[in-house]
Amino acid sequence: MEHTSTAERILRGIAIGAVVLFFIFPIFWILLMSFQTNETILRNPPSIAFVPTISNYVALLTGRLETAAGTLDISFMQNLKNSVILSVSSVAVALLLGVPAAYAFARHRFRGSEDIAFTLLSFRFAPPLLIVLPLALYFQDVGLADTYIGLIWVYQLICLPLILWIVRGYFEDIPADVEYAYRIAGHSWFATFRKIALPLAGPGIAAAGLLAFIFAWNNFVFALVLGSADKQPVTVGALAFVTASGIQFGQIAAAIVLSIAPTLALAIYAQRYLVEGLSLGAVKG
Amino acid sequence: MAGVELLDIVKRFKNETVLEGVTLTVAEGETLVLFGPSGAGKTVLLRLIAGVVEPDGGTVRLDGRDMRDVPPELRNIGMAFQNFALFPHMNAFDNIASPLAARRKTAERVSEGVERVARLLKIDQVLTHRPRALSNGQKQRTALARALAASPSLLLLDDPLRNVDAKLRFEMRLELPRLLAAEGATTLYVTQDYKEAMALADRIAVMFRGRIAQLGSPAEVYLSPASLEIARLFGDPAINVLDVTPEQDSQGPFVRLSRLRAPIDPGLHHAVGKDCSLGLRPEAIRFVGGETTGAIPVTIEAETPLNEKIVTLVTTARGREILVSRPSGEPGPAQGQAHIAVDSAHALLFDRRTGLRIEPSRDDADVRGAAA
Amino acid sequence: MSEATLSLEGVSKVYNPGSAQAVQAVIDLDMQVTAGEIVALLGSSGCGKTSTLRMIAGFEEVSDGTIRLKEREIHRLSPARRNVAMAFEGYSLYPPLTVRDNIAFALKSARLSRDEIARRVAEVAHLLEIEDILGRYPSSISGGQQQRASLGRALVRDAHLHLLDEPMGQLEPQLRALLRGRIKHYIKERGMTAILVTHDQTEANALADRIAVMEGGVLQQFATPAALKDRPANLFTGTFIGEPPMNVFLAEVGAENGSLRLRLGDDAELTYAVTAFEEVVRSRLLERGRIAIGVRPHAVRLVEQGVPAHVAANQWLGDQSHIAAEFAGGLLVAVEHHRAPVRPGERIGVTFAPEDLHFFDVESGVAVSHGGRPA
Repeated sequence: MEHTSTAERILRGIAIGAVVLFFIFPIFWILLMSFQTNETILRNPPSIAFVPTISNYVALLTGRLETAAGTLDISFMQNLKNSVILSVSSVAVALLLGVPAAYAFARHRFRGSEDIAFTLLSFRFAPPLLIVLPLALYFQDVGLADTYIGLIWVYQLICLPLILWIVRGYFEDIPADVEYAYRIAGHSWFATFRKIALPLAGPGIAAAGLLAFIFAWNNFVFALVLGSADKQPVTVGALAFVTASGIQFGQIAAAIVLSIAPTLALAIYAQRYLVEGLSLGAVKG
Repeated sequence: MAGVELLDIVKRFKNETVLEGVTLTVAEGETLVLFGPSGAGKTVLLRLIAGVVEPDGGTVRLDGRDMRDVPPELRNIGMAFQNFALFPHMNAFDNIASPLAARRKTAERVSEGVERVARLLKIDQVLTHRPRALSNGQKQRTALARALAASPSLLLLDDPLRNVDAKLRFEMRLELPRLLAAEGATTLYVTQDYKEAMALADRIAVMFRGRIAQLGSPAEVYLSPASLEIARLFGDPAINVLDVTPEQDSQGPFVRLSRLRAPIDPGLHHAVGKDCSLGLRPEAIRFVGGETTGAIPVTIEAETPLNEKIVTLVTTARGREILVSRPSGEPGPAQGQAHIAVDSAHALLFDRRTGLRIEPSRDDADVRGAAA
Repeated sequence: MSEATLSLEGVSKVYNPGSAQAVQAVIDLDMQVTAGEIVALLGSSGCGKTSTLRMIAGFEEVSDGTIRLKEREIHRLSPARRNVAMAFEGYSLYPPLTVRDNIAFALKSARLSRDEIARRVAEVAHLLEIEDILGRYPSSISGGQQQRASLGRALVRDAHLHLLDEPMGQLEPQLRALLRGRIKHYIKERGMTAILVTHDQTEANALADRIAVMEGGVLQQFATPAALKDRPANLFTGTFIGEPPMNVFLAEVGAENGSLRLRLGDDAELTYAVTAFEEVVRSRLLERGRIAIGVRPHAVRLVEQGVPAHVAANQWLGDQSHIAAEFAGGLLVAVEHHRAPVRPGERIGVTFAPEDLHFFDVESGVAVSHGGRPA
């Protein structure tokens, strides 16, 4: 027997509906826009009825943008590819470096460990532009400007502290006794790290990785300053839609849809795993 | 050859000294129980031996070998933890198999080994379960099986029965000595339960504030505790403590209980005139008829059944509270006035200032042997 | 009936109802607690005792049934409006407040005078031996101290009902033994009504007037400590209550020339004069044929000419010895109130007096007879 009355249930439904609408509406609206031409988008008064077109997507995929002022070449697909390369590599490098470091910070209190950990976090405090401008000059000198490697390196400013601090918390949540038990059973510290710490912190590592991926994907400033057109991700590439003859809202919408699709897919795929892991029932045994 | 040798072990955490020079030898095959209140340093000592905590001073020797710089995985130890510390992402089989796998046994030998200890501990039915699907008792047995699986030369058991229910704890208390004897391993067992300590130990090391306060057989610790603090930890209900000042007359030394003369061990003549505490075990006090010589009149305050005993709280004419215990089923007064008799000749006498027990001197030819 | 301060009628709790993981935590619980009574909910983990307590406190919704406190239906009220005080197992002190302010918190909300608050806090602090930490913050004190502070916060309040969830689980055995007596005295002196959840039967026995034994979400028996021990309603309570636990053996019942024969495993046999059992008990035993016999360890008598048994272990605990012996295909535990001289491997004889025997139905586990009289 449920105690909630019918009225209460209806009210609850309405409340949930309102919240969902509030968050979903912008995404839904952009989805609609991506299937309209600039003219239908900008007509006054606005109307919900329109004849859907896939011309925006075609333009993005073929790289040729037809505008009133003539044909424009855009490198959206190249930008998308850059986004994928930059984000995936950055997160991979950050996980490779950050997870062992997080483990060290969580399990070993060495001299200055707190200071080092805090310094790493403090990279997140500085305004990115302030770091990037001087860095641009150095990069010119050492030949890292406008290279993937240079950009991935700079992206560590975003990814590494994030992963380090989130994953450290997950390692700290694993009871030390569980690791002691494995070592006393006869395994080296490295085996203990691989077979106990990593699997138990796995969901946390995945969550941190996903978050770092989203931050890296959405980054704008680093690539704007340090990369040229053929290394720039979609965030910077979207500037191309602001043309001399006006803003191409339809294409921007389509570009947004295409660029959020990977992160969204990843998040949905990982969701069940994340929720299970974040509740951390597994470690409590 | 000694199984475990600890020489002057010191351990500090920040400014706090948790172990202040512990020296202890455990013979091969012996079961030694580390007993004491929490914070005494028992668990830290166990971890030092396991090698997961480093001492700040002193030497740990296992089988005669100095363990400095020997990592835990090379010490050939089995350990069970108070909170079990099972690997939550592995099933019971893999948990128990982990020490065997680490010793690079073939798959066949591993499963043989696991099945051996699983049968021994009656958990062969649940080997495919993950820890979260196990009951508390099964978890505890799995943890014990994991510690035993590779037949280590040293077993460290850190209060393994603390988190299981009374029935299971009792069963394991009966079962463990046989299990340990069959395995033949040297065992260090940490507990806060004096019954566990007495039932399992060959010797008990009583620890307080980072030091070993007394080391001896269960009988020695129970019957001849080195201090009042130790006497209070053994026994349920705890020992009665009465402030007394021994006196002496032509018949020998005595104390006054409710104005009545109660003789004490003749060997205690050197305690005469000192401020002392008399320790009387509740089970050493009996209800008697009022005409018995030396019977002390008391008022019954409350009666509580405690497992297989009945515990009665009585007050003397001077308002001193005394606990009396008798086997359940034995008749006794439940309320009103009554008389108790005290076997003061076998009572323990402690120096009130230092808390140390005053031993009867043995130079007198006619002195009977001490209680032990 | 009007005496009952708290009454639970047909209370059930289902977690995740309707889903595949639906769990029946509490099943159709009926229970009446009288004003001024201390009741213990006793059982192992997962038996439903904590769910029951949380439903009474209002932290858990009731799936079915009614809870009344002082004639008022409370199971739909928010926890704050039930006039119930609770001490939590996990301490749950307010971190920004000192121990003193934590304990005084509810009293301040109740607008008691400053002197009255100070007096009550001092009293409960003295009771629980936490006077020296009243000025400290929860994060700087030990687990045992936090638990006592949490207990103090509940005990200090005026409420219709006090709920104590494993109130002494983190304390050391010596302190626990001391506080049990004091807390009982404190509660009784003030005429408070209290429900205590515990898995420790020593604690339940020492504190409670009546004990509700739960298992699998079902109330097994609700009775005084003495009644639980002398007249267990079924095999579960019989073996759950008592330390060391009751010995249980299966037997075939036979009658012959004025004696009743109980044939146990391994050719062990007990013979009693039929007159030792009431007529109705005899007929119930004979009609069943097979029966479960329960004997408490302290009732096992070691005698020369008893049924043979082989000592497996003898553990001396200072004031008593626990002897385990192989007997009738199982392990028999006996308690002797002195240092018993028997050694492992030795042969001993055991007997049980008929008044110490408990009989239980083999299938249902329900008690058939206690001490020769019908259950």
